Amino acid sequence: MKTIDCTSLSTRAINEQVRRLIADGAREILLRSPDARHNLAVAILTDAAITIDGSVGYYAGGMSDGVRLTIRGSAGWGVAEGMLSGTVVIDGNAGNGAAASIRGGTVVIRGDAAARAGIAMKGGLLLIGGDTGYMTGFMMQRGRIVVCGNAGPALADSMYEGIVFVGGEIAELGNDAVMSDAAPEELAEIRAVLGQHGVKGPDAFRKVVSGRKLWNYDKKELEAWKAAF
Amino acid sequence: MCGIVGILDRSGEAAPVGATALAMLSALGCRGPDSAGIALWGAEAAGHVLRIKPGDGSDLAARRREITRRAARFGRVRPSPGAGSLMRLCVETTRPDDVAHAVEDVSPDVEIVSLGRRLEIVKQVGAPQSLATDFGIGASLGTHALGHTRLSTESRVDLSHSQPFWAHGLPDLAVVHNGHITNYHRLRRIYEQEGVRFYTENDSEIIGVYLARKLRAGARLDEALRESVSELDGSFSYLAATADAFGFAKDPFCLKPLLVAETDGMVAIANEERALAAALPAGYRAREAGAGEVLTWSRPAGPSSRQVRRHRRAVSA
Repeated sequence: MKTIDCTSLSTRAINEQVRRLIADGAREILLRSPDARHNLAVAILTDAAITIDGSVGYYAGGMSDGVRLTIRGSAGWGVAEGMLSGTVVIDGNAGNGAAASIRGGTVVIRGDAAARAGIAMKGGLLLIGGDTGYMTGFMMQRGRIVVCGNAGPALADSMYEGIVFVGGEIAELGNDAVMSDAAPEELAEIRAVLGQHGVKGPDAFRKVVSGRKLWNYDKKELEAWKAAF
Repeated sequence: MCGIVGILDRSGEAAPVGATALAMLSALGCRGPDSAGIALWGAEAAGHVLRIKPGDGSDLAARRREITRRAARFGRVRPSPGAGSLMRLCVETTRPDDVAHAVEDVSPDVEIVSLGRRLEIVKQVGAPQSLATDFGIGASLGTHALGHTRLSTESRVDLSHSQPFWAHGLPDLAVVHNGHITNYHRLRRIYEQEGVRFYTENDSEIIGVYLARKLRAGARLDEALRESVSELDGSFSYLAATADAFGFAKDPFCLKPLLVAETDGMVAIANEERALAAALPAGYRAREAGAGEVLTWSRPAGPSSRQVRRHRRAVSA
């Protein structure tokens, strides 16, 4: 295990050191005293295990491919944004836009997620141990979101595809989001993933999918569009 | 972008909230490097404390004397020499509005920056640390404070346009805002027709005016904040406080960040966690405020103002 003390380093210097250690063959790296700064451990393209010993600011672990990142604290906006593959685990809560636009991999938030978690996801899995905020899964295109707690308003709004499972209450479904029946094997798979990450989820989940009404232009709306333009 | 911070000490004792707000603001300096300010609610003064921008003039000393003379029409005045570029007067009066008008009548560029029995605002163009060197805000004790570090986007960079904003006309109410109020011009036209004077072109100024109207009409701070979520348009995370209450409001689309952390001893709020880490001992848990969320806290019942003053003397000795 290699350790970097972030205290007196610039963010650029921290990320350069991480990259250099990985190039030199390091498999496990610990970042101490992260001071909740932004852009830590971004664009890591290997499966190195990086642990950040505290909270982080915006975009931690973003644009990565393969990284195994653990954040022992909370994360700010856009954690793991644009990730291709790998695993990002946040012990605390996450800010807006967690796992935005990820194409693959797994993001685990043990605490609560804020607004627009999983926005525009194109694959992968977002697992939320607590509650999730407004517009979770907005315009999601593929992948899965599992919410163990409650979901805020406008859940899965304008989703193309993708699946959202919710264990708790749903404040309100978004545009064109509809309830669906979860198959036993889907639920078994969720339970397996929860167990894998040590998240104690509820016994039952409800499944939300796209109603597919927004996929095609609806002629009945023509008058509304004419008025708008 | 703008950095906003708030700190409430729950002990009810005179706490070093000036130093805490300053540390929080310094952590957010990169969010807004052009101006900085802190509003601090301290011990209740014997009168109303005014912080005044004396403006420009060929004989500033004479202008300061004239300001003091006009304030003295309404009660005993105790000036604080060496208060920095913002004059500080304590006026024992039951007519604070009249004092404010008389002082601002001295010249169009004279402005009351803050007025209240507990509230004092210091702000200026420059980095947060300059508030410590120019006003000694780092040594100020109180129960709660708000801070702002500004990145100007649409209005000019000067002292008047910087935040926090005192809500003119309502003692002790101040606001810091990150975001954009898009129905600013419409609301401003309405308020101006009713005779409200605006001091800046900064859309954030409207929030204080809006809240002051609600509070004057009898609303509590939490009620006013809640109504603002639907009546103000745009993207906003803002903090507001009076002598007795402290809280935040966030727009219904959650467009601006705002993190909240509560411990047994303190409530800390900021739009980046770096600022919370500067205020709280390790082990706190930060959470992002929700869409349209409003939350307020009451100032804890604390010691008498006499105790606070004694403490302040002990600290400064």
